[in-house]
Amino acid sequence: MNNEADNIEQQKLIGVLGQFDDSHTLMHACEALRDSGVKKMDAYTPYPVHGIEKAIGIPRTILPWIVLAVASGGLCIGLGMQWYTNATEQLLPFWSGYEFRISGKPMFSLPANIPVTFEVIVLSSAFAAFLGMLVLNGLPRLANPLHRIPRFKRVTNDKFFLMVDADDDQFNLDQLKNNFSDWGASDVEDVFLDQTDWKLPAFLKTVAVLLLVLMLVPPALVFRARGMTYTGTRLHVVPDMDWQVKFKTQTEGPLANNDTKTEFFFKDIRAQFAPLPGTVSRSDQSGDVEFFKGIQQGSDLHSSHGTPAVLASNQENEPQEEQPATTDAAVDEPNWVTKIPSQVKVDKDTVLRGQRQYDIYCAVCHGYSGEGNGLANNRAVALSVSGEASWTEAKSLYDPTVIDQPVGRIYDTITNGRSTMGPYATRIKPEDRWAIVLYVKALQKTRKDAVTAEADKPADASDDKN
Amino acid sequence: MAITVDNLTNNTFEDPSRRAPLITGGLDNDGVTEVVADLAESPSPPKIWWVLLGVSAALTAMLGSLILLLIFKGVGVWGNNNPVYWGWPIVNFVFWVGIGHAGTLISAILFLFRQHWRTSINRAAEAMTIFAVICAGMFPGIHIGRVWVFYWLFPIPSEHLAMWPNFRSPLLWDVFAVSTYFTVSLLFWYMGMVPDLATFRDRSTSKIKKFMYGLFSLGWSGSARHWHRYEVAYTILAALATPLVLSVHTIVSFDFAVSIIPGWHTTIFPPYFVAGAIFSGFAMVVTLLVPMRALFNLKHVITVRHIENMNKIIMVTGMMVGLAYTIEFFIAWYSSNPFELFAFQNRAFGPFWWAYLAMFTCNVFIPQLFWFKKIRTSMIMSVIVGIGVNIGMWFERFVIVMTLNRGFLPSSWSYFRPTWVDIGMFVGSFGLFMFLFLLFCRFLPVIAISEVKGTLAFQKHMALAGGYSDEPDH
Repeated sequence: MNNEADNIEQQKLIGVLGQFDDSHTLMHACEALRDSGVKKMDAYTPYPVHGIEKAIGIPRTILPWIVLAVASGGLCIGLGMQWYTNATEQLLPFWSGYEFRISGKPMFSLPANIPVTFEVIVLSSAFAAFLGMLVLNGLPRLANPLHRIPRFKRVTNDKFFLMVDADDDQFNLDQLKNNFSDWGASDVEDVFLDQTDWKLPAFLKTVAVLLLVLMLVPPALVFRARGMTYTGTRLHVVPDMDWQVKFKTQTEGPLANNDTKTEFFFKDIRAQFAPLPGTVSRSDQSGDVEFFKGIQQGSDLHSSHGTPAVLASNQENEPQEEQPATTDAAVDEPNWVTKIPSQVKVDKDTVLRGQRQYDIYCAVCHGYSGEGNGLANNRAVALSVSGEASWTEAKSLYDPTVIDQPVGRIYDTITNGRSTMGPYATRIKPEDRWAIVLYVKALQKTRKDAVTAEADKPADASDDKN
Repeated sequence: MAITVDNLTNNTFEDPSRRAPLITGGLDNDGVTEVVADLAESPSPPKIWWVLLGVSAALTAMLGSLILLLIFKGVGVWGNNNPVYWGWPIVNFVFWVGIGHAGTLISAILFLFRQHWRTSINRAAEAMTIFAVICAGMFPGIHIGRVWVFYWLFPIPSEHLAMWPNFRSPLLWDVFAVSTYFTVSLLFWYMGMVPDLATFRDRSTSKIKKFMYGLFSLGWSGSARHWHRYEVAYTILAALATPLVLSVHTIVSFDFAVSIIPGWHTTIFPPYFVAGAIFSGFAMVVTLLVPMRALFNLKHVITVRHIENMNKIIMVTGMMVGLAYTIEFFIAWYSSNPFELFAFQNRAFGPFWWAYLAMFTCNVFIPQLFWFKKIRTSMIMSVIVGIGVNIGMWFERFVIVMTLNRGFLPSSWSYFRPTWVDIGMFVGSFGLFMFLFLLFCRFLPVIAISEVKGTLAFQKHMALAGGYSDEPDH
């Protein structure tokens, strides 16, 4: 901009520009030029003039094909994205998909995926049309030499222009100027390309070097930090409910007046309530543990989950009520009761009730005969064999390990479950559980070979079934 | 400058043997440029502009502070609760999105139908679309609760979330639809503005204006080769925007229609919503353009005929919406589904009967005034009806959402009340809309100058060919 006018050597003639006052004159001029064989020309108008493409000889643009190609890509991307993220899992070693398993419905729902696919197609096509148009037009082109011509400012208002490029074969400056006047041009001008300021200012080099140095600072800081430990408070930008204003158990409860530390909301200053009257804790020893848990009074009240330990068989048939704590029992097996508790009447009615409850709750796995051939068990065993499920086979009630179990142990199995057997405490009342135990024992008695060597003490057997 | 304003041709005659002129007042190309550029070039805009800007800026500030309140305190500041867990925010969202659809319809669909009268109004209508979609998209954006993890809405890999969005959900289709709609509308609007920004560039005198208009006009020179590709791109975008506008409000209607709630789960919703959107959108365009043409001296470019055409569309779409109301009742009865019937009876006669009455009156009865030519060519009546229609359409969405207030379980029935934050945000959204629109009026070309010049050329061409009745002094 500084030495523009002085530097005539830097001014290169690139074309001649004719100005017209209306579109019809322009069109005639275009057609005349085209007929004379000029190819490198262009018209400039304030609005698209219909018919000018033919007049100049502008070929149809390939933009629609570009948009079509991009739209096809958009279709693949839109659909593929949804398929990958919602219908696959662990397909790639990173960014695994996440299958939505909803009632066994198909993983890939094409109908549901149409809206998003359509939107992705439209979005990608719109960008293709817009950016494609810009790229094909060579826009943005802020340094167009035509913009330096003051008259040319009227092109966006109401004047029409026609420019012939200097490097066209038919270019003849004087002839063209004559022709333009013949065709009704109101003005003709030479168009120059000013190459004066094409060298970059010198200070930009310094700026570039400075910027490069500055760009190295953040990575340097990062590497420095990797070799250090930071002892300050961690920056936690989004609290995200990580610190919750709440009272934890066994801590001081809320203050009554919020500011004095002397008055608490609850009399016993604890945050949680004391146990309410009439409630019983699970590990409460004050109740009837023999009836409710099948454990002898006074013995260790450990929960009896885990592998059933085989107790010494001489324990089971001893007629005493109290057993001294034996040493050969598994460490976490409490002392089971060996007799049905006195609350339960050992008579035919109880056995029949036990049979009814057994048929309802237990036969599905253990079988009606107690052999462990229940339908659910059979199916589960088949699945576990094929690897689709994990299952511990339901025991046959005539299994020697089960025969040896004291009644309290059987009661506990029903109450709390064992391995893959769930607990039935919530579904069967304690009285009914003991009835089932009684029925189990009765079943075991029905098999001759199920009776152990201790059966030569028939008096004890009948004692048990008192 | 070649403007003669002394004869305002009445171009609303309905003589099919002669076309009505669309640009009146004897304007030529230069005149059109002057009329439109005057708004941005005058040293100071009219006083009313400053007043409205101040009011809308204040309302926008209020909106901003309410949004901060919402983010810090949580969604409980709204009235959303059991059973009406979708309250004003979704009503406002659908309201604003619907308004936005008119702009795209004017730009794209009227373009494909070769309706030349769209050239005077399409720029302002598209601007209205952009700003309406901004106001619309704001509501779902802030209602998600943990706004700082908004990026979970998009399929961006996230260790924190450890899963992907559910593409079967209409709420997620909304995310894609509204984002696409905003982006495509923005592209379409900007592309249309490039030649007009070039006009501003070539007329601007201050250095800042020259730089800004020069930058955003991308060096546009009006080259015929450029115009050719530009026109092809414009047509492609119009062809894309047409199914887009239909699909976006369809997807918004799916928020309701894809559920199983009686009164919502109905296939009439997509066309009903789209018709309603066009209805409310055109009403808003009329409400904006009538004052604009009066205040900013645009009467010769946005003529009475333009307003009348828009009023006719308002009436047609209003009748479509009225038909939909009637059919809904019929289907509720015909279905023999007691819950469906109850849903509609509850809407009309339940606790929100007053909203239903407002909706029916404003949407069905008031637009019928446009049967009378005197009313549909009257500017004041156009604005009144336009405002009435917008009120009616807000109530329509409100009535639809209030179906929740009496659901399957009578023990859950409860009356919905909005909080002051609900109301404040709604009013504030109007402030934001107005603020952006006023800035648009001042700094950007409010009319598609190059397109109007094309219409002018077409008009002259037709006059020469003998099919037009041009201005008497031409």
